[in-house]
Amino acid sequence: MHDEVAAYVLGVLDEDDHEAFERHLDTCERCQAELVALAELPDQLDELRHASSTSDDDPPMSMSH
Amino acid sequence: MCPVLGHLDGRFESADAEAEHRIAVLYQEFGGPLLRHVRKSTGNDLQWAEDVVQETIVRAWRNSARLQWEPSLIWAWLLTVARRIVIDGRRRRSARPQEVEPPEVDMMSVPDGSERALSAMVVADALRSLSEEHREVIEQTYLRDRTISEAAEILGIPPGTVKSRLYYGIRALRELLRDKGVAG
Repeated sequence: MHDEVAAYVLGVLDEDDHEAFERHLDTCERCQAELVALAELPDQLDELRHASSTSDDDPPMSMSH
Repeated sequence: MCPVLGHLDGRFESADAEAEHRIAVLYQEFGGPLLRHVRKSTGNDLQWAEDVVQETIVRAWRNSARLQWEPSLIWAWLLTVARRIVIDGRRRRSARPQEVEPPEVDMMSVPDGSERALSAMVVADALRSLSEEHREVIEQTYLRDRTISEAAEILGIPPGTVKSRLYYGIRALRELLRDKGVAG
């Protein structure tokens, strides 16, 4: 359960898992601490969306070198 | 007067004065910072961002036990709740034909465009430094607005493996960005 904190922070857990993790979070201090540590990381990843191509057909970012 | 109350159209008619007070305090305390944060992820769509903040505050009010947490944890939780609402909205929007052009064009021409491009480069570099396994789960979930189970099917690996790789990948990414002075 603890490793779901990353998927939770990113908002990508499926609905049932999301609800279960929220309940887990109420009592798990370790996950609470990791939530605080990771909470703003997705904002940094969002920079890639804004910098990406304007076409919806393209991937969010190019990994080619 | 708290703006959220006016927008909720009597949804809290039966709520007592104390509940109204608490939601007003929540809005005062977190509404402004949350709106500034959410606007970034709605591509500066202010109306959408305001709706997301309202929904986030309502959810916080419904989970009032969590408001006993430390302020840093409340803030982290609110950001996460808001992000989930934005992602759900984006998924709904992309499920139907685009009514307007996506706002990315404007985003690139705003005054802080070069600063944004620079931090995007730093993040892209950090992502490239990750192992292929870690990078691909971040790309196939968050960056494409896909859930764990959707990404698992595309990648042909169990959902538990996607979660676990995401966990280690995100932690590694955070360390890389912290070394570069980007992450907090």
